[in-house]
Amino acid sequence: MNAVRIGLQVLLVLGGLFLTMLILLHKGKGGGLSDMFGGGMSSSLGGSSVAERNLDRITISVAVVWFTCIVGLGILDRFA
Amino acid sequence: MLTAFGRAFKTPDLRKKLLFTFLIIVVYRLGAHVPTPGVSYKAVQECMVGADSTQGFLGLANLFSGGALLQLSIFALGIMPYITASIIIQLLTVVIPRFEALKKEGQAGQTKMTQYTRYLTIGLAILQSSTLITFAQNPSQLFGNPKCTQILTDNSVVTILIMVLTMTAGTGLIMWLGELVTDRGVGNGMSILIFTSIAAGFPGSLWAIQQRDGRWDIFLGVILMGFLIIALVVFVEQSQRRIPVQYAKRMVGRRVYGGTSTYIPMKVNMAGVIPVIFAASLIALPALAAQFAVKPDGTGPAWATWVQTYFVRGDHPLYMVAYTLLILFFTFFYVSITFNPTEVADNMKKYGGFIPGIRAGRPTAEYLQYVLTRITVPGAIYLALISLIPLIALVLVGANQNFPFGGTSILIIVGVGLETVKQIESQLQQRHYEGFLR
Repeated sequence: MNAVRIGLQVLLVLGGLFLTMLILLHKGKGGGLSDMFGGGMSSSLGGSSVAERNLDRITISVAVVWFTCIVGLGILDRFA
Repeated sequence: MLTAFGRAFKTPDLRKKLLFTFLIIVVYRLGAHVPTPGVSYKAVQECMVGADSTQGFLGLANLFSGGALLQLSIFALGIMPYITASIIIQLLTVVIPRFEALKKEGQAGQTKMTQYTRYLTIGLAILQSSTLITFAQNPSQLFGNPKCTQILTDNSVVTILIMVLTMTAGTGLIMWLGELVTDRGVGNGMSILIFTSIAAGFPGSLWAIQQRDGRWDIFLGVILMGFLIIALVVFVEQSQRRIPVQYAKRMVGRRVYGGTSTYIPMKVNMAGVIPVIFAASLIALPALAAQFAVKPDGTGPAWATWVQTYFVRGDHPLYMVAYTLLILFFTFFYVSITFNPTEVADNMKKYGGFIPGIRAGRPTAEYLQYVLTRITVPGAIYLALISLIPLIALVLVGANQNFPFGGTSILIIVGVGLETVKQIESQLQQRHYEGFLR
């Protein structure tokens, strides 16, 4: 059981670091505070490029792995 | 009205966007209930029972995260680091010349600033999650519940580092979810997520009012009052003064530009909710400092006890006065940051526009400043009044500070709701359909 836990923790750390990095690689959307709480009138048009779409896919898969690790650790704790 | 909803879902393009937004909301709410590894879910639930989750700064943060903060879930920090980062960046534009230059650059500069905001968000997330976990090691203070002693499964450094990392990554993920909604869904993603968190707390805090006395008449009265307040807030948020602007005709090559008359809309509440958020977090600072200074047995330096008697409980007159003054100040401060009359006047002059009866250039700027200041006075008073509603409700019906129909909650709910509906409507109108608002 301990090996599984350590494995999951290592995966969680790697996943977390990787996920943060990937998210920072994305191009930011949205225009600051005034946009957030009304008053903004900027609306950016234009779709995302191929690179951006691949980045999306990778980010989603890393996020899923990361989330699975958290749930796995939670289940381990529950039945420990 | 209902047929408009039906039509919104019948339009394939819009339906995809709406469903995408709902999907993100579901993911967000789901994550808000998953505990961070290393936190004992059972112990947290036991602590929550007698918890006083409404105090000061933590109360505000907890409200913004939809209750996820006190559950120490993976999305515990919610959208708060992003808001803080945006506020910091926005304030820095006044101070740092480079940021000001970026702001003037338009779209490209804005993208760069957003990128800075994102980096700062991650930095703040590390800071805030460390603080939260330090608090969590001594949970009786965090929950305001003396029976609560241990919520972490173990206190080793590795576990704590993993927790900080997980919460930071969670914050990053929320930021990305918000951006996805902005990009592919309806409305501004960040505000939709805040909206979701606050709305998630509505039924609970309403039910708490009913449960406290077990009286239905107060409960129904509060709901009725809520509708009245919402109507009032919608009315004020929609009201604006239109300053007419006439553009001169000019020839560029063979084409004629301008010759149109438009207006500059000056909203009564131009600052939005941000002054309230500023004031609320600022007024919570002394209480936070006092919390550190007071020893567990309840003794502490004289200033700390003074702060705790007058500034922690929201129903004290002194607290109300300080809060009101802060809101009034920040409203004017924030409006002066976001709307620059000189810049607007210069731009108008550049494109041959003028306000009828007023010379272009400096007199225009002065006129705009005059109108702006005059219209912000009722705006600021309105903001202060709305923010005082929860404090008054605290006295009248014994609600908690997260009283749903007042303060930050109602302003954000109505503001975001209006904005989103307007955006959906404009999409509907592209297809010549009737919208929600008439």
